[in-house]
Amino acid sequence: MPRRLLILVLGLCAAAQALGEVYQTPEAFVAEVFGTAPAPRVLWLTRELQAGAAAILDHPPANLRQRYWSDGAKSVWILEDIGKEELITAGFVISQGRLDHVRVLAYRESRGQEVRDPSFLKQFAGAGLAQGDRLDRGIDGISGATLSVHAMERMSRLALYFDRASRN
Amino acid sequence: MKKSALALALSVVATGTYAQSTDEKLRILQQEIDELKAQVQKPAAGSAAQTGSATTLSGYGEFNYNNYKSDERPTQADLRRFVFGLHHRFDDRLTFHSEVEFEHAVVSKDDEGEVEIEQAWVNYKFSDAVNVKGGLFLIPLGILNETHEPPTYYGVERNEVETRIIPTTWRELGVGVHGLLLGTSGLRYDVGITTGFDSGKLDDPSTGVRSAHQEGQLANAQDLSVYGALNYRRSGLLVGAGVFTGNTGQNGATNPLLKGVDARLTMWDVHAQYKVGRLDLQAVYADGKLADADQLNAAILATSAEPFAAPNRMKGAYVQAAYHVYKADKLDFAPFVRLEGIDIRQQEDPANGLFQDPHNHERITTAGFNFWVHPQVVLKADVQRYRTDSTKDRFDLGIGYMF
Repeated sequence: MPRRLLILVLGLCAAAQALGEVYQTPEAFVAEVFGTAPAPRVLWLTRELQAGAAAILDHPPANLRQRYWSDGAKSVWILEDIGKEELITAGFVISQGRLDHVRVLAYRESRGQEVRDPSFLKQFAGAGLAQGDRLDRGIDGISGATLSVHAMERMSRLALYFDRASRN
Repeated sequence: MKKSALALALSVVATGTYAQSTDEKLRILQQEIDELKAQVQKPAAGSAAQTGSATTLSGYGEFNYNNYKSDERPTQADLRRFVFGLHHRFDDRLTFHSEVEFEHAVVSKDDEGEVEIEQAWVNYKFSDAVNVKGGLFLIPLGILNETHEPPTYYGVERNEVETRIIPTTWRELGVGVHGLLLGTSGLRYDVGITTGFDSGKLDDPSTGVRSAHQEGQLANAQDLSVYGALNYRRSGLLVGAGVFTGNTGQNGATNPLLKGVDARLTMWDVHAQYKVGRLDLQAVYADGKLADADQLNAAILATSAEPFAAPNRMKGAYVQAAYHVYKADKLDFAPFVRLEGIDIRQQEDPANGLFQDPHNHERITTAGFNFWVHPQVVLKADVQRYRTDSTKDRFDLGIGYMF
């Protein structure tokens, strides 16, 4: 019995080494999108942009600037927001004012990792902003991950909003 | 001449002061710009839309109004529950989760209110596939037990199947292992060993074994239970099942007549949820068996002032459909209908006057709507009809929230 317990503990430790909550670093995500990552740019959040971001997030943005990467055709935004208790980090690639693809880079909650599911994230591809800075399409939720789904929706809207602002 | 000299002197002093002040301001501004540049050039990518804190607060609650058709039951408005959660991240892998619940607004020895620790558990995340938890946590049976915040379900009152058969909010003290199987497949498992029920505490067969669950309060732990659940989630889809089993006699700790009696309880369920377009469909089937009911009857007869026939089989099912007829901005209006059936069978003992309560075979129809004024704030209204006990027929209103 103690030997089996030891094997179990060692197995769990090995699993801990093999997998973590950070699935991809922002640097790796940016490099994947562009090949060679362009220098980061900064969008300064004017009062108007802060108000717009707050309306989307339902809380004021914490920072006065937002870093992003762009090669002119595509832009990449790494955003974070809280699902239920913890920050979710996600990468958003935008092309011509529409989401090209979305990926969860880090998920820290103990439940709700299903938002990483490609079939869930695929719903965001092609989405743009409609009136009131809402997504122009509905996103099907995931039972038991309601607040994480809401956070992903908010961040996708914010990425599109920031992208639009960066082009003006 | 003297006046001119004085004016000149004052002017020089003032200019010097101004120049010094401007230089100082420029120096501070330059320092701030340098700091900002340094931050922007940091190698870590990304910038948080909101900074995270190691300790976070969550909450949910509901205010309900029940207007009964029958005069036998009082029309009431109630702050049904006020719950706040406190969560803490010790490091990247070790976290603590808790929820404290206040029911019925006022808690004192003369009032109906209760304060309960609904959850308090520590989780160690080895990976998404392997989490180990310990403490007081929710048992993963049904849909409502783990996801019970008012904006996440239809109807003012929680459904009866997941109240009388699955005793939501059902929590036990124990340890468990849970996580996602096969990467992002959406397949989640949860298994563990916990405290179980104490059939010596049974006092209300109308809710099956609910009155015998111990909620982590000096729980008799002679007999432990095990549970397991498997859920498959994709966007819009949930299919799952769970089982919980263990002896409940607790070696007679509460009722000495149950010493040596197993009184094994086995409860299981299957559930599904499907959202397609504007349509929400949901169904749950739950089933439980409590063994040694004859011996439970004998124990109840010997100790209870108002003896009742012990429940030996409890099952229930519901189907529910809702349609989002209006969705715009943060507003979402969805009428729904739910059909439920409850069947709690009791071990009759006619010689001692213990009989089946006919009210424990019930059919309930609920129709109404949820109106989300924000994704996390909902207004609700519904009408409920009980086929067996029509004194429960009522009209309900509610406000619910979560954050």
